[in-house]
Amino acid sequence: MISSIDLFIDSDLDKVVQIALAVRGLCTGLVSEDDLDAVELSVVEAINNVIKHGYGGQPGRDIRVLVGLHKEQVVIEIVDHAPPMQADLLNQASEERFAFDETNLADIPEGGMGLALIRMNMDEVEYSSSEGENRLRMIKRIGPRPS
Amino acid sequence: MLTSELRNNVLVVRVAEKRVDASKAPAFKDEMTQCIESGQSQLVLDLSNVDFVDSSGLGAIVACLKQLGPRGNLAIAGAKGAVSRLFTLTRMDKVFALHDTVDSAVEKLSS
Repeated sequence: MISSIDLFIDSDLDKVVQIALAVRGLCTGLVSEDDLDAVELSVVEAINNVIKHGYGGQPGRDIRVLVGLHKEQVVIEIVDHAPPMQADLLNQASEERFAFDETNLADIPEGGMGLALIRMNMDEVEYSSSEGENRLRMIKRIGPRPS
Repeated sequence: MLTSELRNNVLVVRVAEKRVDASKAPAFKDEMTQCIESGQSQLVLDLSNVDFVDSSGLGAIVACLKQLGPRGNLAIAGAKGAVSRLFTLTRMDKVFALHDTVDSAVEKLSS
């Protein structure tokens, strides 16, 4: 591992930008610009989910973000102590969420897009929950550098 | 977080914030609702100043489109980088007309 960084915020939507920009900064130079966007969006969606759905919007609860910078991949883990997410939600989330009928206004989604976006933007996503602690592990592989 | 001006009967709404995320989406939606309730049905949302939109921000933009209903139009101008990528990834580029500039969006909606 090149380095490992541990970040903490409390469950306040206004503070998510700080972690998002910190993670983006840590990954800058390791992955492409498109992948930086993908990682930033995934981190934001994951933390928003914890704050809005896990902690029910309640401020002052803990969220830990571990960033592992490896030679071939970036590993980001979001750790919280909220009630766990329903086990199959992540596996059901996919690009199918966006297979809506664009000619039918009512069919166009306004929510429920976060997990699908995480799955679409990261190379591997796993969720586990044990002894009151939830962990969303997201991996972005580092592609060949442009010469 | 929004400023607006009327051009050729098209209301151009400019987002002043750099990010339209979960913390900003409710205020964005409230201010857009005021624009729509003022009677405007042809709108251009100028995102040229915006660097980042998350699914909450995107959902708020979709909500505005639904509020406008089938007789209204909401075009997007100036989406770039991660913002443009989000519209493509979520197939919202099939829902919203995306224009490089406000001028081209206004021209299209006022024609």
